[in-house]
Amino acid sequence: MASPNRLIATPRRDDIEAPSLQPATPLLRVDALSVSYGRQQVVSDVSFALSRGQSLALIGESGSGKSTIARAVLRLLPNGGHATGRITFDGRDVLELSERRFRPLRGRAIGFVPQDPGNALNPVRSIGAQAMEAAALLDEPDDRVRKQRILETFAQVGLDHPQRVCDSYPHQLSGGMLQRVLIGLAVLPRPALLVADEPTSALDVTIQKRILDLLTRLQSELDISLLLITHDLAIAAERADALVVLKDGVIQEAGRTAAIFASPRSAYARELQADVPALNPDRYRALRDPGFRRREAGATAKIEVRAVTKTFAVDGRTLTAVDNVSFAVPAGTTHALVGESGSGKTTTIRLLLGLETPDSGTISVAGEQLSGRSPATLRAAWRHLQLIYQNPFTSLDPTWTVEKLVREPLDRFGIGTRKARNAQVRQSLADVGLGEHLLARKPGALSGGQRQRVAIARALVLRPDVIVLDEPTSALDVTVQADIVEVLLSLQANLGLTYVFVSHDLALVRQLAHTVSVMHRGRIVEHGSVGEIFDHPQQPYTRSLLASIPSGTTGRVSPSRPRAVVTADAPG
Amino acid sequence: MNNAYAAFAARRLVQALVVILLAYVFTFVVVSILPGDPITNVLRDPQNGFSEDEIRQIIAAQGLDQPVLVQLWTSLTRFLTGDFGLSMRSSRPVGTLIAEVLPSTLILASSGFAVALVLATGIAYGTQLVPKRYGQGLLRGFPSLFLSVPNFVIGLVLIHLFGFQLGLFRVIAPNSFWATVFAAIALGIPVSAQIAEVLIANLDHERAQDYAAVARSRGLGPFRLFARHLLKPSSLPVVTIIALTLGELLGGSLITETVFGRTGIGSLVQRSVSTQDLPVLQAVVSLAAVVFVLVNLLADLVYPLLDPRVKLVGAASRRPTTADDGASQAVTP
Repeated sequence: MASPNRLIATPRRDDIEAPSLQPATPLLRVDALSVSYGRQQVVSDVSFALSRGQSLALIGESGSGKSTIARAVLRLLPNGGHATGRITFDGRDVLELSERRFRPLRGRAIGFVPQDPGNALNPVRSIGAQAMEAAALLDEPDDRVRKQRILETFAQVGLDHPQRVCDSYPHQLSGGMLQRVLIGLAVLPRPALLVADEPTSALDVTIQKRILDLLTRLQSELDISLLLITHDLAIAAERADALVVLKDGVIQEAGRTAAIFASPRSAYARELQADVPALNPDRYRALRDPGFRRREAGATAKIEVRAVTKTFAVDGRTLTAVDNVSFAVPAGTTHALVGESGSGKTTTIRLLLGLETPDSGTISVAGEQLSGRSPATLRAAWRHLQLIYQNPFTSLDPTWTVEKLVREPLDRFGIGTRKARNAQVRQSLADVGLGEHLLARKPGALSGGQRQRVAIARALVLRPDVIVLDEPTSALDVTVQADIVEVLLSLQANLGLTYVFVSHDLALVRQLAHTVSVMHRGRIVEHGSVGEIFDHPQQPYTRSLLASIPSGTTGRVSPSRPRAVVTADAPG
Repeated sequence: MNNAYAAFAARRLVQALVVILLAYVFTFVVVSILPGDPITNVLRDPQNGFSEDEIRQIIAAQGLDQPVLVQLWTSLTRFLTGDFGLSMRSSRPVGTLIAEVLPSTLILASSGFAVALVLATGIAYGTQLVPKRYGQGLLRGFPSLFLSVPNFVIGLVLIHLFGFQLGLFRVIAPNSFWATVFAAIALGIPVSAQIAEVLIANLDHERAQDYAAVARSRGLGPFRLFARHLLKPSSLPVVTIIALTLGELLGGSLITETVFGRTGIGSLVQRSVSTQDLPVLQAVVSLAAVVFVLVNLLADLVYPLLDPRVKLVGAASRRPTTADDGASQAVTP
């Protein structure tokens, strides 16, 4: 810690070190904040306060204005953004200060952890060069001491070889390492307030837990106030003392985390709570299970993957992406492949779809073996095997109408007369709950949920038996996700579809799947029914995955205390 | 750098040589299938007064009665040894003719390039550093203005204004210092517009990236943000653009030379086209191809040195082995 001399020399630190002088004054106070871009108002009349050493979470879905509020606090609104109201930080009115007077606060007093670590560091400068910018904010003239502080901070945020990290360029590090670097750079100048904008939304679930633990630990170690922006209610519940729930730029509900969770007063907060998979593991049991019980017993396997191995040559080395993987999916059920990035789940479904050929092993769908077939017979097999891609914002051609998008597979396979095709397109849209008035729309005029319904309709129009769902909701908001899950489950119940569901979201898997294979480094480390895997995991890797699901248990987590595995009696 | 870079450079060099050879063969073929036979036209010109026997002898001596492939081979081997043959009009070696005018064109083209670079960076960096209320919009208008005025018009205006009205240079001494400066300005202005357009677009793009906002959140002011974060990434694509504007520079210098009355490659080409002096044209086209290929080769070779993200094909991964967050894949050697 700083010596007494330095405290006297720098009055700014002095008042941070002495919060007891004005215990009633919050560090950050936002009063009637409104932000608009041109005529469009994106944040309306938002007020909240954050005390020293406390944490507050802004929760909302996309378009709720939560990130805009964070940017307004930092005065980093993009061009055209205009903020009115009052933001008081440490007794100073942030919006009134001139840019020159405000700039010294950035970094020194208010640190910022951005959303997407892959894009938050300059790609053509080394980490060390960028770290020196943060170190320059220390009251420390000696370059060598600054360098030392950087290395210390990197070690503190859990980077094992700080010097090597300094010498690296951003593209040479993983997302988790980059996020550690960014957190390190933000806390290095010892700010009083840390603004973290979705600090983990781009990361795998086990890394997410480590990053959140790190933030919580640093917050108590360094006595930093945390303004956490998140879409994940479960994370907010775990990590924040107070919550502000936003929708369309307006506060729906605000208060102590425990109070909101015990009895949400606003309809939106209740909906949000109901839609978070981690809080409601059994929400869809009634919809999911009747068909399953009926089919599970006698049904033969619709999909059988036996001892499949696939290797790639990368940089002259052999990378085993899929290593001796076997699983079987009974007809009319959902099998989930779960794992983190690089676990081989994507390669597995590419093999299943025939986009890659396995080095060894066999794949059969509906009793017919796929490997070693001619392209023509494969094409016929694909009719019964459809894919729904993870991002409906990029998977649909923006220049096509909904009608053309949904009809295309029929045209491709030359099925039926023109009239029959049109009828089938309308039927598919009706199956996913879309009205005919949307037929002439283009994807740009649809919401995210509508787009994913169009993608599902497009897959359904060929009347396939098997649909491969590749993270079908990962680009969608949680309320939209709940909606899509419901569509998928009722389609399965009505049409007897078999799903192969790929996801890193274990809570969602628990709601949706009947059987699960846990993948790690190309291998299936554990498989079984959802109940077995989630309630009695055998493998340490599965346990660590399950422990990483934010449980939504209110009250701040102490990172040293091991957390209980989520069980069926989680609140919700 | 390392072995990977050396291998990459060697491969690019070989590719460049192949392109040059192909360009030479291509111009040879184009010239030989052109309608009309300029060689016999020249020989049969009554003013030259050759008899049929003499014509046959000359043709045999030049190897022009050989099959096309043999002619191509002879021509190619001569080209590779630096022998471009004789001009059909003046009977002097083509190499000498080009050597006489090349320095003047090189001076014009390189000073035109310098003008283009200074103008382009001045305008582009101005759009980032000049606040809106002090005429940033005006700066952003310059590139399209420059592109829409042909360079001979700029040349004529400059000659009129600075040559005749202000008397800064004498029009009859086109190789004097000031005449060269203004010729270079006339040449550089349209070229600068292309570079400036790309540079401005890149700077705006980089400024809107997350990392720029994150850098500002570390307390960086506008000038440091520009100098440390925006300058380098925005300049990278410009390396490619510069290599591409070279063609503009060569073509433009031919026009500029005519407007300013300079002798150079431009005037040589003009004379040779009107007299169908094929060996000279073949040599100039081949030289242009060589210059073009070399500059693009240079750009390719410089790029990986400037941008750490550019992955050389076949280079080993340089990802540090710091304990990852457990997301790495199984790797068997």
